[in-house]
Amino acid sequence: MKRAIGLLAKLLRIQVRSQLQYPTSFILEVFSSAIILGFFFVSFALTFSRFDQIGGWTLGEVAFIWGITEFSFGVMDMVFSGFDYDSFGPMIRNGRFDQLLLRPVNITLQVLGSRFVLRRMGKILEGVIIFIYGLSLVNIDWTIGKIIYIPILSFSQVLFFGSLFIFGATTTFWTMERLEILNVFTYGGSEIMSYPMHIFPRAIRLIFTFLVPAIFMSYFPAVYILEKSDPLNAPGVVSFLAPLLGLGMLALALRFWKVGIRNYQSTGS
Amino acid sequence: MSEPIIQIKQLQKTFKVYKDHKGYLGALRNLFERQYNLVHAVDKISFDVQPGELVGYIGPNGAGKSTTIKMLTGLLVPTSGEVLVNGYIPWKQRKAYVKNIGAVFGQRTTLWWDLPLRDSLDLLQHIYEIPDDTFQQNLGMFREILELDPFMETPVRSLSLGQRMRADLCAALLHNPTLVFLDEPTIGLDVVAKQRIREFIQFLNHERKTTILLTTHDISDVAKLCKRVVIIDHGKILFDGHLNSLLEFFGGRRLLVVDFAEFYPEPSLGEAEIIQQDRNKVIYSFERSSISASKLINQLSENYRIRDLEVRDQPIEDTIRRIYEEQLLYNHPNGKENPSS
Amino acid sequence: MHAFFATIRTSYRRQLTYRAANLSGLATNLMFGFFRAAVLIALYNGQASVNGLSIQGAITYAGLAQAMIGYLSFFQWYELMHTVYDGQVGSDLLKPMNYFSYWLGIDTGRALGAFLIRSLPLFLVFALFYDIVLPPTLLHWLAFLLSLVLALLISFSYRFMVNLAAFWTPNALGVGRFAFGLSWTFSGFYMPLALFPDWIAQLSRVTPFGAGVYVPIEIFLGIVAGKELLNRLLLQVFWVLFLGLLAHFVLARGIRKLVIQGG
Repeated sequence: MKRAIGLLAKLLRIQVRSQLQYPTSFILEVFSSAIILGFFFVSFALTFSRFDQIGGWTLGEVAFIWGITEFSFGVMDMVFSGFDYDSFGPMIRNGRFDQLLLRPVNITLQVLGSRFVLRRMGKILEGVIIFIYGLSLVNIDWTIGKIIYIPILSFSQVLFFGSLFIFGATTTFWTMERLEILNVFTYGGSEIMSYPMHIFPRAIRLIFTFLVPAIFMSYFPAVYILEKSDPLNAPGVVSFLAPLLGLGMLALALRFWKVGIRNYQSTGS
Repeated sequence: MSEPIIQIKQLQKTFKVYKDHKGYLGALRNLFERQYNLVHAVDKISFDVQPGELVGYIGPNGAGKSTTIKMLTGLLVPTSGEVLVNGYIPWKQRKAYVKNIGAVFGQRTTLWWDLPLRDSLDLLQHIYEIPDDTFQQNLGMFREILELDPFMETPVRSLSLGQRMRADLCAALLHNPTLVFLDEPTIGLDVVAKQRIREFIQFLNHERKTTILLTTHDISDVAKLCKRVVIIDHGKILFDGHLNSLLEFFGGRRLLVVDFAEFYPEPSLGEAEIIQQDRNKVIYSFERSSISASKLINQLSENYRIRDLEVRDQPIEDTIRRIYEEQLLYNHPNGKENPSS
Repeated sequence: MHAFFATIRTSYRRQLTYRAANLSGLATNLMFGFFRAAVLIALYNGQASVNGLSIQGAITYAGLAQAMIGYLSFFQWYELMHTVYDGQVGSDLLKPMNYFSYWLGIDTGRALGAFLIRSLPLFLVFALFYDIVLPPTLLHWLAFLLSLVLALLISFSYRFMVNLAAFWTPNALGVGRFAFGLSWTFSGFYMPLALFPDWIAQLSRVTPFGAGVYVPIEIFLGIVAGKELLNRLLLQVFWVLFLGLLAHFVLARGIRKLVIQGG
């Protein structure tokens, strides 16, 4: 285990070094991606200027969960880059995955260490800015519990999105091509988690409650932190299920990943 | 004889191959229904390899070579049959198994694309947990033999194909594997680079006693390196035995190269067939067993005016190519039923 | 001309062979259409119309914008770039066919395939779920179709140029990410431009991105008519010509660069 972590650290360090080889262009890319991604929020905020609420929430309240979600997704997208199903398909097809299988190290660890996209700092930065903007607009009745829960929530979201990436990468063992539909759960998940989720039609809400438990990752916790009334009338405990569900999903995703590898070894590419 | 290092029994791998409909509408139809054929990429093959052997595993494209290698390296699980390599079932005990083998795939690299070669090799030391002294000793030796020094600091993506192949060979051997799979190690290389790789393979087998299974479509690799060849085609083993016995049986054809003093449109010559004609220069091919060279030469000088002539053995490459093309081995006593070990 | 149509045909077929990809792309865009429609409905909160855009118009907007993603491929397209990096470009340039036309053929085939099995079904399904707005007159229908063709040409020329960056730098992906980011920003595909502050909407509309994505939607929704409609089409024609010429100019420079430096 200790050796594994040491190796992972070494793999990641080397990639960071090579990505920082041209620091100016790296910084430019981080900022430009922060601005471009931030545009989605700006778009929403501009539109919002012609309205005064969305599902009974203010712009600041939306910004608050929008920021946390973007931040977590950005962190996940950096840490779980190796499982990004956009790049995992090519990795199987061009034989790089086979090369990893030929090495005497845990395969999950190797995939995790195979890619580390540092420019996701842009998305992280964007998330932080939106979050701070949201904080400046809302009046939160701060308690110790809320302060502690925010980082726990973000960590749970990282696990949540990371699990979806692992699921996504695993499906490419069968399809070889990335399946765009997965974007509905990853990028789409992060999009609807950025809004008060009760505004979505029942069918969508059910999917994002029972198939992919996104609603426990942002809306319910936000109801607690922002002390909003919940038109869904869910019991109070749902606000605190995020860490449990995050860990549970990761365990499930890793199980599926193992199945995928076994299948890959019986069909080849 | 010692225990074989590779044991393969009745190994089989079957794939589904999908068929597509044609035309604008057919393309739409493909969305809804697809048909497939079952293809036996490897069809119940058996053979053993002894420690220290250098075996050429050859066959035309799509014969089942790489499917076999994938099963032997544990990348692919067979449909049926048994494989035991180094005492392991490759796909079952992956981590333990790959610690003691090396593999080089000519068209792929195990190295990190963006990293200088040195960094890649350092990483491999950690991955294989190679003790410092072994690592330094091996690296020193390979750097010298494979002449890696000029590009130790170059990122792998900037290496030429020949350099990359040398680097990959080094990478696959740092951990002292007892068995090495070389899959098309000379593919795409020029003559000089090929020669260099071949010399290295020879060194590895002779000096370091490494067992090598060499897959290649370049028959001259085999001719220069391997005593034993295994020929596979359509998933079945056509021949397994000594290279010389193969050649004795099929290499029976010889070439007679004649330079005529004047131009003859079709200088026919009994049982010999013309395989090439370039103005006055004609190459005949004939069966050693049915007619002797001296008889042919007599016939020639009786009928034509000759400036010069020369008798050659047909190159091994041509012989083996002829075996693929004419599927000679299906009728050969050594074919199919293999005599190994 | 024959080669051009052959290229279209091949590319169309290839597009249709990606069955899972197409189907899942369709489902994805559809779901995102639902998300955006839900957000708009929540914002409208019962109001019939805001700044001249009715709630039905806004919902239709969300569906159309999603339907156009597959057809226009405006937000991501790196095919040409890949051929530069894997060396295929050499033999493509030697083809007895204008390089721009060659790729235009490929992209037209791709767009045709995507339109038939992705964009069109998506919008039809979307229409089943909502009370949508259709073009008010036959003229609007015709103008919309014309506008779609022009939009593809605009989008293609832009993507073609962005990809040509690979002739100059080994890191054209970064350029592409930025350039395609710009097209998200100004095309109005996330939220209807009509709901933005007016000056931003005006500005976005005259960019090639607005002309590519927003103008066809405006025509479809019947927001513009008569002289205004004609002006919109002329704006598109302007961008087609301008970007087309610019693309040829950049290509000529790029080829010279490639020839001199040998890639």
